[in-house]
Amino acid sequence: MEQKSPRVTSGADLSVEIAGLRLRNPVMTASGTFASGREYADFVDLSRLGAVVTKGVSPMAWTGNESPRVAETFGGMLNSIGLQNPGVEAFCAGDLVWLGSQDVPVVVNVCGHSVEDYVRVVERLEDEPGVAAYEVNISCPNVDAGGMAFGTSCAPAGAVTAALRSVTKRPLIVKLSPNVTDITEIARAVEGAGADAVSLVNTLLGMAIDAETRRPKLARVVGGLSGPAIKPVALRMVWQVARAVGVPVIGVGGIMNGADAVEFLLAGAAAVQVGTANFADPTSTMRVVDGLAEYCARHGVGRVSDLTGALEE
Amino acid sequence: MSCAALDAGSHPLLERVEVLANDRVAEGVGLIALHAPRIAAAVEPGQFVHLRIATGADFLLRRPFSVHRAGGETIEILYQVLGRGTLDLAGKTRGDVMDAIGPLGTGWDIPDGIAHILLVAGGLGAAPLGMLAERLSARGVAVSVAQGAPTSERLVARELFESVARRVEVATDDGSAGERGFVTVVSERLLQTDRPDLVCVCGPEIMARAVAAQAARAGVPCRVSLERLMACGIGACLSCVVTTSHGRKRACVDGPVFDAEEVCWDGAEVPPRH
Repeated sequence: MEQKSPRVTSGADLSVEIAGLRLRNPVMTASGTFASGREYADFVDLSRLGAVVTKGVSPMAWTGNESPRVAETFGGMLNSIGLQNPGVEAFCAGDLVWLGSQDVPVVVNVCGHSVEDYVRVVERLEDEPGVAAYEVNISCPNVDAGGMAFGTSCAPAGAVTAALRSVTKRPLIVKLSPNVTDITEIARAVEGAGADAVSLVNTLLGMAIDAETRRPKLARVVGGLSGPAIKPVALRMVWQVARAVGVPVIGVGGIMNGADAVEFLLAGAAAVQVGTANFADPTSTMRVVDGLAEYCARHGVGRVSDLTGALEE
Repeated sequence: MSCAALDAGSHPLLERVEVLANDRVAEGVGLIALHAPRIAAAVEPGQFVHLRIATGADFLLRRPFSVHRAGGETIEILYQVLGRGTLDLAGKTRGDVMDAIGPLGTGWDIPDGIAHILLVAGGLGAAPLGMLAERLSARGVAVSVAQGAPTSERLVARELFESVARRVEVATDDGSAGERGFVTVVSERLLQTDRPDLVCVCGPEIMARAVAAQAARAGVPCRVSLERLMACGIGACLSCVVTTSHGRKRACVDGPVFDAEEVCWDGAEVPPRH
């Protein structure tokens, strides 16, 4: 088996522009599933990705949740990692240095327990030239304070976004939670507060139980559901949000192959993120890029960006 | 062959592997042989492979398995049927194809200069110790084995251990072989009589913890191979963390073998079912 899949030659222009960022194709990695890319370098040619979105970075080290942290479910998986990360200083001294040697735009996912936490992370990263954009995580369901608490009502979502807008000119992508009654309200709130793009969806809050032991499968009982099981929900939300806001939408949720990515583009996404698929097959991102190119060739699509919102209703 | 020579730059491969044989070796326990030339050439004792047993909606994630033996172009995996993944694995027959990522993890990493080693295996904990026993014996290290299982039938790999070890002592829950009781009775005795330079243990976490305590009391260094549920297997997802005195480490790349001294056992989890 090839370690790195061969480049598909295609006439189609796969490049897209998101919030002022020119990406060579619309395929990004989903935060938390790809670390900072180093772990995947044996399987993926990072220079063939649209962007690497890093694991969430907090101001100080976070130890994350107790184990077990993961459970396989039908068509997907639950995780409750809890944003374990070494903190922004260690990130800048380690993964970010390594990423700087790679030919790929770096989007740093930012997390915090408070507005001040988010601001501290971004202020520190403003000193680093190797950061192309920020993705603001207001949607992690696995932490007690911050995370999803900011992303499930409009005022705090807007407050975090506005606070970050005031400290950076770099593109701000806000990652939205699906665990809300109306995701378009949150999307409009962060757009109004200065977000340059939104990415959706983060994981759906779920749980799994082992009937034999009568115990929850996750130590934290509840966790975030991801994988193909959530794709219809994610598609619906991307379609709704793309019609509700003017900023670009980045679609994420259960994308396993090129056809899945095309569906998100048609629903209104300008780019996509591949997450859980990386666990099943570490070359998934390359297959998605190749699948997109193949789709464009087969359908005579000259520019992949022409697919965005091209759903025929 | 030195087990210490694991190249820090060694890279995992994605390899298409083919089933050569898949045999039941005890109640609920199978031994599967896979044609995996690239992994077989690179794997060190204690390392594992991350197998994509099946694809489809009900099988999203891979399953990690210690490599039990490796030789030529073949690797062998000992597995216990515990859940959907291993049930599917038990149904594989000659010619079936899967893909595997490996070799993964740090392995046992036995330092040079070890003259006498004690291996302690509880149940399927024998899996990552088979290849270690063979390779250490081949390099002239005296190997003692303490092995425990519920019944004599479940003393998997006992023949392998007996063929290469200086001494094998067993314990079974039902007394059908060796001592009646836990393997810790045997390991405690062998620690005293054989005076090993190093103990390597794999088995249920409560047993591994007890053996680690015995080794610590005897002043003998101890390595332990731990099992965790994992998703990516390559260090990215942080599902498989082990709490250590140096913080939370990843079983897939920082382990699965750890220095027993650094493991915070209170963070021990219930055995994974997969």
